[in-house]
Amino acid sequence: MAKAYINGTGCISPQDSIDSEWFFDPVTAPSVDYYNAKEPSYKEFIAPNLLRRMGRAIKMGVAGANLALQQAGVTQVDAIITGTGLGCFEDSERFLLAMLNNNEQFLTPTSFIQSTHNTVGSQIALIMKCHDYNFTYVHRGFSFESTLQDALMLFSEGKESVLVGGIEEHTPNFVELNRRAHKFKAYDPAIPFWKSATPGIQMSEGAAFFVLGKSKSANSLARIDGVQTLYKPKSSDVVLKKLQAFLDQQGLSLAQIDVCLMGFSSDVNFDACLKALLPAIETETVAAHFKHLSGEYHTASAFALWTATKLIEKQELPAALAISDKKPSQIKHVLIINQYLGINYSFTLVSKC
Amino acid sequence: MISAIGNNVPETLASLIQSRTGIGKIHYLTTRYKDEFLAGEIKLSNEQLADLVNDHNPDLNRNSYIAMLAAKEAVQNSGIDTGDGLRTGVISSTTVAGMGKTELYYKELFEKDDHLSVLDTHDCGDSTERIADFLGNVDYVTTISTACSSAANAVMLGCRMIRNGLLDRAVVGGVDALSKFTFNGFNTLMILDKEWSKPFDENRKGLNLGEAAAFLVIEGEEALKKRNGKALAEIVGYANANDAYHQTASSPEGYGAQMAIEQALQMSGLKPGDIDYINMHGTGTPNNDLSEGTATRAVFGDRVPRFSSTKAFTGHTLAAAAAIEAVISVLSIQNDMIFPNLNFTTPIAGLDLVPETTLVRTPVNTVLSNSFGFGGNCSSLIFKKVSA
Repeated sequence: MAKAYINGTGCISPQDSIDSEWFFDPVTAPSVDYYNAKEPSYKEFIAPNLLRRMGRAIKMGVAGANLALQQAGVTQVDAIITGTGLGCFEDSERFLLAMLNNNEQFLTPTSFIQSTHNTVGSQIALIMKCHDYNFTYVHRGFSFESTLQDALMLFSEGKESVLVGGIEEHTPNFVELNRRAHKFKAYDPAIPFWKSATPGIQMSEGAAFFVLGKSKSANSLARIDGVQTLYKPKSSDVVLKKLQAFLDQQGLSLAQIDVCLMGFSSDVNFDACLKALLPAIETETVAAHFKHLSGEYHTASAFALWTATKLIEKQELPAALAISDKKPSQIKHVLIINQYLGINYSFTLVSKC
Repeated sequence: MISAIGNNVPETLASLIQSRTGIGKIHYLTTRYKDEFLAGEIKLSNEQLADLVNDHNPDLNRNSYIAMLAAKEAVQNSGIDTGDGLRTGVISSTTVAGMGKTELYYKELFEKDDHLSVLDTHDCGDSTERIADFLGNVDYVTTISTACSSAANAVMLGCRMIRNGLLDRAVVGGVDALSKFTFNGFNTLMILDKEWSKPFDENRKGLNLGEAAAFLVIEGEEALKKRNGKALAEIVGYANANDAYHQTASSPEGYGAQMAIEQALQMSGLKPGDIDYINMHGTGTPNNDLSEGTATRAVFGDRVPRFSSTKAFTGHTLAAAAAIEAVISVLSIQNDMIFPNLNFTTPIAGLDLVPETTLVRTPVNTVLSNSFGFGGNCSSLIFKKVSA
C-alpha cells in the first residue's frame, strides 16, 4: 500500500487551530457540557453570494479545505474525499422542522438540497471546478478514517494528490436533545479523561482538511504510513493484538513509537478499552491525548491527525497534550489510537518525512 | 434485493419479465400527499418486516429492516461463510438513514423522553452496523453517501479494497426507505411526476420515488477459488467523476456522466461497441434524461447499444438505486434478457434515443450501469458474463 505525504492542513476546532502560529497554548476549555468550534471570518475564504446560503458545516468545510490548499500551494487535486458522521445537520433539521411545523406545506428546497451528506464535498468540487473522483463517507467514528484509507488506495492506483477532510456540526437543538438523553457531562479539568469514573462526553464539532500527495515535496509536513479500522473488538487484548499486527506490517514495534495519541473521551464506558491499554502503551512509549481539546465527535480523528502533524513539525509534545511527565526524545513516529463510543476503533501511523 | 417489485431476487425477475411495475398509490408512508402522488413502496409494513428479520428490537427502523433482509439474501445466495476466517467487509450506502423514524418523533422529543433513542439510529452508519451484526464475523464496515450514485460507489469501493488486498470479499450495496422528509424534499424541487414516470420520453415530467435495499457479494478470485464458488458475473469497469456544474442539476452536455462512462470503459478494456445493454440512470426528470442521453450520444455516437431505465418499475430509490440496478444488470447477464423501459412513447427531440419497451431475449455479455446524483456525483459500472 502506498503512503501519503501531508502537504497542507486546515483545521477549525474549539481551539485556535486556525492560527498557524498556535501550538496548543493557550487552550480553551468549555464552560458547559459541549464545545463550539471557533469559526473564522468566512469572508476571507468564500464569496459572499455563496456564503449567504451555506450552512455551518459547509462553511467550515470549505474554509478548512481552502486553508489546506493554500498551505500546500495548490489549486487543483485529483480527488476530493470528505467524511462526516451527521453531515449538514443544521439544514436537515431546518427542513425537517419546517415540514413538521407547516404540515408539509410552504417548503422551499434550499435546506433540503444542502441536507445531503455529500454537500460539503460537492461544494468544494464546484468551487474548485474539480471533475475528478469525489467521495463522501458517513460511517460514524470511521468517517474520516475511510477518507484516509481511500486516499492511500488512490495513490496505489496512480493518483498524485488528494484533498481529504472530516467535518461535523451540531445545532442547539441537537445538543439539547442529547443532553436530555444523558449523553453529556460538564467538562471538569480536575479529572483527567483517562481517570474519569463517570459516563458522558462533551459533544463537539469542527473541520480538518489535508492536502495529501503521493510523493514527497518541499511542502511535505509529515507522512501517513497506514490506517486501520477495527469494528467492535471483543476486548482490549484483541485491540492490542491488532495493534501489534498493524505495527508489524509497518516494520515497527511499540517502543519505536515516540508519541501515542489516544482518543480518551472522558466516558468511563467508552474509554474502558483504552484505559486497559494505557499501561502497556506507557511502558513502551509516551502516551498523550487530544479530546479534552477537540471534544468528541464522529470525525475527531481528523483533529488528531492535525495534532500529529503539528507534533512532527515542531518536534515537541506540548504540556497540554501530555498524560504523564515523560517527554519523547524525538518525534519520528506518532501513533493515533482512536475510539468512538467504544465501537469504532482506529489506528493511524504518522511519521516524520 | 427488496423493492416495490419484489421482496427477493426471484420475485424481482418475475416482475421484470412480466412488465409489472411496483409503483402505485401510496399505502405505507404517512403524508398529506398520499392521494396526489404515486410511489414505489415495498409492499410490507414495518411489523411484517420485523417478523421477516425476526427481530423486534424497538431501535430498528425501516431502513435497517430492509437492509438486513437484502444483505442476508445476498449472502445466502452467494454461499459464502463469513465465519471461515477470510476478511469480509460490509460497505453500504444510504441518504435517508434513520430520518424515516426521526421525523415521526422529532417534535415530541422536546417534550417527552420516550423516544430519545431515535437520536442514536438517525445517522447513516446505523443500518450498516445492523447488517454487520446480523451477518456476524464482519471485519470491516463503512458507509458512503453520495446522493443517488451512492451504491455504485459502494460497489466500486468493494472492488478496490479487494484489489488492494485489504479485504477478501465484501457485501456491497445500498438502502433507502421512503420518508416524508425525502418525499417533501423532492416535491419542493418540483421533479416528481404525479403519474407514472416516463424515462427518456419527450413528455417526461419527473420521477416517482421508491424504496429499496439491494446487496451483492463480491469476491476476489482467490477467495472464490478457495471455496470452489461460481461467480454470477464479473465487474470489469468502474469510474467516479464529478460534473461540478450545479448542486442539484446535471450539466446539459452531461460532462460528468460522459467522463464516468468513458473512464469505466477504458478500465474494462472494452470498446463502446462491445456493450450489449445499458441500464440507464433514467430517472424521468427532464434534466437527467436529457443530460444522460446527450452523454450517451457523445460516447456511443450513432451506435447506441440497447438500453432501458428500469426506474419505471421500482421508482427512484436514491442511494439504493445503483445497487438494485447492479442486481438487475446481473440478472440481465444471467438470463440473456434486456428488461423494458416502461411508459415510453416519444423519443426526446434532437436525441432520437429509443429504449427497449418490451422484454428482449438476446445474448447479454456486457452491461453498463449508470448512476448520477446531487452534488454532481457520477458513477458507472460495467458487468461482464464470466467466461466458461
